[in-house]
This record gives sequence, C-alpha cells and structure tokens, in this order.
Amino acid sequence: MKFQILDALILTPIAAAVIIALVPNRRSELHLPLGITLSMIPLALAGWLFFAFEKGIAGYQFVHDSPWYEPWGMSWHVGVDGISLALIALTALLVPISLAASTAITDRTKLFVVFMLILEAGLIGVFVALDLILFFLFFEVVLVPMYFIIGVWGGERRIYAAYKFFIYTALGSALMLAGIIALAFFHRDQTGVLSFSYQELLNLELTDTAQLWLFGAFGLAFAIKVPIFPLHTWLPDAHVEAPTAGSVMLAGVLLKLGTYGFIRFNLGLFPDATIELIPVMATLAVIGIIYGAYVAIVQPDLKKLVAYSSVSHLGFIILGTFALTQAAVEGAVIQMVNHGITTGVLFLMVGMLYERRHTKKIADFGGIWQVAPWFSGVFLFTAFASIGLPGLNGFVGEFMVLMGSYATLPVAAIFGAFGVVLAAIYLLWAYERVFTGPITNEENRNVADLNAREVSLLAPLVALMLVIGLYPNIILDRLTPSVEAVLDRIEATTTYEVPDPGPLYEVLGGGHSD
Amino acid sequence: MTDFLPIIAQVDSGALGISYLAIGPELILAFGAALILMVDVFYKPRHTVHAGIVFSTLVLATATAILQYDRVQEGATIHFSGMIVADDFAVFGKFLLLLVAALGLLVAWPMVEQLGRRGAEGVALVLLSAAGFMFMVAGANLMMVFLGLEIGSISLYILAGITRESVISDEAALKYFLLGSFASAIFVYGVALAYAGTGELSLSGIAAQLPATAIVLRPGVVLAAMALIITGLLFKVTAAPFHAWAPDVYQGSPAGIVGYMATAAKVAGFAALARILYVSFGSFADDWGPALAAVAAISVVLGTLMAIMQTDMRRLLAYSGVAHAGFILTGIVGGQLRAVWFYLAVYVVQLIAAFAVVSVIAGPTGSVSPLDDYKGLAKRSPYLAGALTVMLLALSGMPATAGFIGKLGVFTSAWGGGYEWLVVTGLVASVAGFFFYIRIMVLMYMQEPVLAEAPGADVAKPYVSPNVEVVLAIAIAITIFFGIYPTPLLNFLG
Repeated sequence: MKFQILDALILTPIAAAVIIALVPNRRSELHLPLGITLSMIPLALAGWLFFAFEKGIAGYQFVHDSPWYEPWGMSWHVGVDGISLALIALTALLVPISLAASTAITDRTKLFVVFMLILEAGLIGVFVALDLILFFLFFEVVLVPMYFIIGVWGGERRIYAAYKFFIYTALGSALMLAGIIALAFFHRDQTGVLSFSYQELLNLELTDTAQLWLFGAFGLAFAIKVPIFPLHTWLPDAHVEAPTAGSVMLAGVLLKLGTYGFIRFNLGLFPDATIELIPVMATLAVIGIIYGAYVAIVQPDLKKLVAYSSVSHLGFIILGTFALTQAAVEGAVIQMVNHGITTGVLFLMVGMLYERRHTKKIADFGGIWQVAPWFSGVFLFTAFASIGLPGLNGFVGEFMVLMGSYATLPVAAIFGAFGVVLAAIYLLWAYERVFTGPITNEENRNVADLNAREVSLLAPLVALMLVIGLYPNIILDRLTPSVEAVLDRIEATTTYEVPDPGPLYEVLGGGHSD
Repeated sequence: MTDFLPIIAQVDSGALGISYLAIGPELILAFGAALILMVDVFYKPRHTVHAGIVFSTLVLATATAILQYDRVQEGATIHFSGMIVADDFAVFGKFLLLLVAALGLLVAWPMVEQLGRRGAEGVALVLLSAAGFMFMVAGANLMMVFLGLEIGSISLYILAGITRESVISDEAALKYFLLGSFASAIFVYGVALAYAGTGELSLSGIAAQLPATAIVLRPGVVLAAMALIITGLLFKVTAAPFHAWAPDVYQGSPAGIVGYMATAAKVAGFAALARILYVSFGSFADDWGPALAAVAAISVVLGTLMAIMQTDMRRLLAYSGVAHAGFILTGIVGGQLRAVWFYLAVYVVQLIAAFAVVSVIAGPTGSVSPLDDYKGLAKRSPYLAGALTVMLLALSGMPATAGFIGKLGVFTSAWGGGYEWLVVTGLVASVAGFFFYIRIMVLMYMQEPVLAEAPGADVAKPYVSPNVEVVLAIAIAITIFFGIYPTPLLNFLG
C-alpha cells in the first residue's frame, strides 16, 4: 500500500494521544515531555510535506481518495494545495510549541496533552479534507478538545467562556450541515447520485438564489469562526480565559478555519453569490479592522488587547479574500500564516508574563525592560511584525492585501489602511506602558528574563517572521497557482474579471502570471 | 419514498406454514425465562446459576437469529397463517433486541443480586419482554403486533416496580402501567377500526384493501384507525406530545433496569411503526407523512427545551429520548429505513451505556439521580466520566461518533423525502441540545465533587462492577468505530 502522508498527518497525533493515554497517571511528569516529543512526528511529516510539495501546480497533491460509504456519496478524500499547505505546517509547528509553553499546567496533564493532540488531528483534517462530510467532521471535532482546554484549564470565567465558545460555533456549523446536505441533493438532482465530494460539487449549476442561501449557510459558520464583526463576541472571552496553549491554538489556527473555509468553499462553490456579496463582506471586514483596533487600544488587560487585535487582523484577511485579486487573496492566505505566528508569540509572551507576575493588567507593569531586556526585545520585535514593519512577515501580508484590494475595493482599502496605523497605536502604546519607563511597582523588580526553554520555543517563530518577511516566496511560490485557480474559476463562471495586477505586482515577486 | 423496500407486501399472506425457525429466538427466550423461574423455585440456586442460564439462552437465541438471517437472504417468508413474517427487517429488530437484552442484563446484574430471591423474576421478565418485542417486530398481523406489544409492555411495568420497598419506584410502575394500558387501548381501538374499514387484520391485507376502501367506504374510518394506531405506538416510543410518562418512569424505576426499559420498547415501537406505516398505509403516505413530521418536529424541539431545564440525570435522558424519538421519526418520514435502523442501533447502545453510568452513581436499585451527584466525577472516576462523555457527545450528534452518522442518515432521509424544514429544525435543535449535554461535562470535569456530610465511600470512588465496565467498553468501541467507519453496519442493514 502506498504511504499516504496526509493520512499519516492526521493519524500520528491520534496515535500519540493514545500512547499518552496509556501512560499511567502516577507518572504524570512524563506526559508533557512525551507529548512534545511525539508531536515532533507530525511536525517532521509536515515539514517534509511542505518541501516535497511541487511548486507551480494548482491542483491537489498527495491525494488519497477511497470510498467511505458510497450510497451516500461520502469518501475519505484528502489532498493538499497551495492554500492549505502552509496552514498545515503552521498547525504542526504550533502544537509542540504550545505544549512546551504549558509547564504551568500541573492538574490532569495527561488529559491536557491528549486533547491538544486530538485538536491537532482535527485541525489538520479540516485543511486536507476534500469531502464535505469529512470536512464537517473535522470542523466539529475541533470544538470538543478546545472546549475542554478552555473549560478545565482556563481562567476564572472559564466555564462561561467555554460554553459560549462551544454553542456559538456549533450553531454556525449546524446550518452549514444543512447547506452540505442541500448541496449533495442538488448533485443528486443534476446527476442522479448523492455526492459530498468537493471537486464534484464544483460542477454543479446553482441558481443565484440557491447560491445566496448556501453562501449564507456556509458563510455564517465561517463568519463565527473568523470571527467577523458582529459575531465576534465569543472571541475575547474564549481567548482571555483559555490557558496560553489554548489561546495560541485558537488565534493561531482555529480562527483560520473560518478564513480558509471562505476561500475554499464560499469562493469555490458559490461564485455568483460571492460577487454579489462583496460589498457586504468588505464592509464587515473594514468595520472589523477599525472596530477591533479601537477596542484593542482601550483594553486594560494585555491578553484582551491581543485578542481584540485578532479581530482587526482577521478583518484584513476577509478584506483580501473578497477583494478577489491575485495579490489580495494571496495576501490573505499569507496573512493567515503570519497572524498565526505573530499572535501566537504575543499570546505566549503574555502567558510567560502571567506566569511571572500572575497578572495581565497593563497597569500592573512598567519598566520591565530594565529587568528583562531580552524579553522586551522579542516582544517589541513581534509587535513590529504584527504592525507590519517592512522586512517582517506582517508587512508582506498586509501590503499585499491592501494593494490588491485597492484595485477592486479602493474605499475599503483606504479605510483598511487605518488599521495598520491603529495597530501601531495599540501595540506600541501597550509596549510603552508595560516595558518602558521606570519601575513603579516593586514586584516587577523580580521579573526574570527569558530562560532557555522559553528562548527555544520562541526562536523558531521569531525566525519565521524574518524568513517570511525577507523571502515570502517560500510560501508564495507554492500558493500562487492555487489562488490563480480559484480566481480563474470565478472568472469562468461569472461575469467578474480579475483586474490586471500591473507592474508593481511583479516587483513584489507575487506572481508567475505567465 | 426513496429507497424503501416494501417489506412484506409481495408475500402471499394466505400461506400457512409452521416454521419454528421463524420464531426461534422468541421461543428460546421464553423457554429460558420459564427455566429460570422453575430452577429458582425448586433449587434456589446462587445467582451465578441464573447467569449461566441467561448466558446460554442469549447465545442460543442469537445463533438462531443468525440462522434466520441466513434464511431471509433468499427472500421474505410468511408463517403461521400470516401471523409472523421472517424478513430482513424482523431479523434486524431481533438482533437489536438481543443486543439490548444482553447489555441491559449486564448493567442490571448488580441490581439482580441486590434483589435476592426476586432477582430471578427480574431476569425472567427481561427475557420475556424481549421475546414479546420480537413478536412485535416480526408481526405480520395487527393482532400479533398487539400481542407482542402487550407481552413486552406488561413485563416492563413489573420491572419498573421490582424494588417493592421503594415508594418512588412503585409510583413509577403504577404510572407506567396506567398510561401504558391507556396507550395499548388506543392502539387496539385503532386495530378494531382498521378491521371495520378494510375487513382485514394482516398488514399486507389492509394495504390491498385500501384502494378499494377509499372509493367504496368512507376513508374517515381508515384515517381514524391509522391515527389511533400511530398514536398508540408513538406513546411507546416517547414521542411528544405522548411522552409525559417517560421522565417520571425513568426517574423512579430502579437504576439498573432503566436502560433496558427505555431501549427495548423503542426498538420494537419504531420497528412496528415503520412497518405498519409503510406496509399497510403506504398509499396514505401523503396523509400521515406531514402529521408524523409535525410530531417529529414537536418531539425534537420540546424534548430539547425540556431537557435543558432538568436537574435530574434520568429526567434529562428521558427528555433527550423524546428529542431522539423525533430524530428517528424524521428518518421514518423520509423513508430511508436503513438510516433509521442505524440510528436506532447506535442510539440504544449509547442510551444503555449512559444509564449504566447512572446505575453506578445512583446505586443499582436507586431511584433518583440528581445532577449534583455528577459534580467532579472526572476526579473520582476518570473512566466513568470519560465513558459518559463519549456517550453524551454521541447523543448530541458530535462528528466522529456514531451519533453523527445516525443524524446525518436521518437528515439525508428527510431531505430526500422533501422535508427540508424538518432537517433545519432538527439541526437547530441539535445545537440547543449541546446546552444540556455539555452541562453534564461541565459538572464532571470543571467542578469539584460535592462532599457528603459523612466522608463515606460513595463520594470517593464509585464502585464500577466488571459488568458495567464491559458494557461501557463495548459501547465506546461501537460508538467510535461506527462513527468513523459506519460502512459495515450500513451495508449490513441493507
């Protein structure tokens, strides 16, 4: 039998979870190190996948398609293209790092590690699934471990936050399941057999009304996950109450399930509805960018500030997605990865501060750089990456989104650009209050600098900020053909025409538009 | 009606044929029950002897059912002057009832031991009720269905009150008996009207007479008969608005036996309902379809909303059972009976396992199960809490459990049958259902145990008998395996 790398990527975390579950509770000190070690296997597989992935091909690679239950048209159909590739790698990278950052968790570590590994399997599954039922399965399965991670190991209001997270996101996906079933029956009406296969459903001819309804059913699920304003209210609660690892996985990968879903399913399956709803989505995206940033500015709590900054950053991704130009959509995808890296580091560092001082209130800090210069340095570096300083990864994504959006949505792009300015305000102002100035609170004198463990878990992410910032082609080369395919399909099925990118686009190295 | 197989319509109902194989499992179960009672009276043996008899009875009955399954592959046959049918449908029902009886008895065994000499009666009653329900799923004649229904139900009434000392349990038994008899009366009234309208009692005979009746006689009689028969059966499967007895009965009955009581009646009730609707009244589908869809919607919504408000685990499971009855009806109106069987098969396993945990927490003969008892269960017994979590997730329809495939099946069935609104209702209700399933997980994993005044053994670590461990292990295996790879079971079901 052929070795199926994607199956292995889903199954190895599950196997690891089973192994950890078999380690008895009295050896609880083994669970975390063993979990970190075992999660290196999917990371290695993902790394191999990333570099074995053939550039310049738009279609799916490493496909494994075998029947699951044929009378219902379900199949185990997985594959990876340029859009999902980097997100898989990001997931596999963030899991061992989050685990390594979870030494503060001492209660029921076994359960925690098991849930983290199941979460990883579910997340990777979402990105590789090419069968809608399979996709839905992973999309929902992700909720359970995340729910427990927030609810068992979270902060004071963890139960409320976990409840809200679960119900909110489950509500969205229920309607998506109705949409999925409807699609399968449209397929039956047009071809005679039920099918949940994504690639076969792409051939459906759907009326405008049907597309709008289905766009709504899928879009609501994804909009809640992203979250798009005004469906974002679960996010601050969940992020703030979750333990550090939970926040990192939430912001790093879980939110991307929504943006990924929009690109893969809404743009792919419902092109007419997409064109029709561009103004709505762009407006909501811009509101999210500005609103998230403004709310972030006034947060007294560092973790909440980072949480609201996610609302703002995810707005950029939505704006780029619905700008429907090559640069903007590519920018959106690369921004998904960037946001996962930078926000991941910010949450990790907020968590480290909390472990040192047991507070996340900005007002409790001040002058930290005097006692922890390395810590402050890395934080500032990440803040710059998040703001979008040229040379760092955030710049690539935001610039491509804004430039690409300007061609089709100039007003939204102009308003969106304010988000960059506001990001500088909330992040640098927070940096100023936490790290600079004199030490006003005596307790801050004992804040330790980064230790070796923390350096080693931050280092790969910081390195990636530089790598993507300086050489974005490492992702773009693999991404461009797939994005082209998405846009080509929209051009082919609707009257919409993707604007000519112009010469500046070539300078960016974003296109192989031959 | 998409891919429904008209189960006995094509069989000549006049054929007189004695086939002991066709009623083999029923005979063996009834014989086993009688044997246990006799042995108990004459020798007063230890309970292990009963266990041996029960075990061999179930094994023999299963073996016979397998033989029967082999036989029906060649086609459905009718026996005993059109009373009993041997077909796929009946054999699935028998397999399921045997599974339910086996799991139910394993869970009930600690109760049987606590009951002392009366334990043997409990065991015999379980076997008898299983035999009765088997007659019900294999009945090709409304009289046979009614007889099976009564044999099964009366055994259950007694089981509900088998711990005589407990007043709550007696109350539950009396309520169950009164309301259950009332429902049986409604059912039998429907049978009488069906006879009045068509001059037939056999299921396929009614179907044959219907087209003529619709013209010659007033179809009102037939419609009334149909409504009464459906109502009687909906009562047995706890569909709203005929569900009011279920929470009280589940709450009051001895914890060890509730799982069996709840599931066996549902298997038989849904099977008989589906068979009667499609075989006898198939040509009236336009009349009963919307009505049944309405009942399904009411059950799903009401069951879910009421379950959210409960403070007792068993009442909660009872109301969730109302919602599940609605989901199963959703599948039945859609017409894909394969999906209905799958749903039933995995649902009964989940429910028995959930009640197995209840019986551990409440004690085998305990009568109430306040939710507070489940606080901090994950710390007291991670295994129990984990098993219950898997079952609750499956009941809630979480993907990667068999519950999801079941829901997907019934929703696909209903969508294909043109009941899109019912699917959307069901999906929204499923989300609302998460509220109460999750609440139990919150209690188990995110709250501390309630400490009793006296630091007794009860609060520390609940004793899980090996039987219950086996049941939970089987249930988890079935739930996860068929949740990820449902193909073998779905293929088996047709």
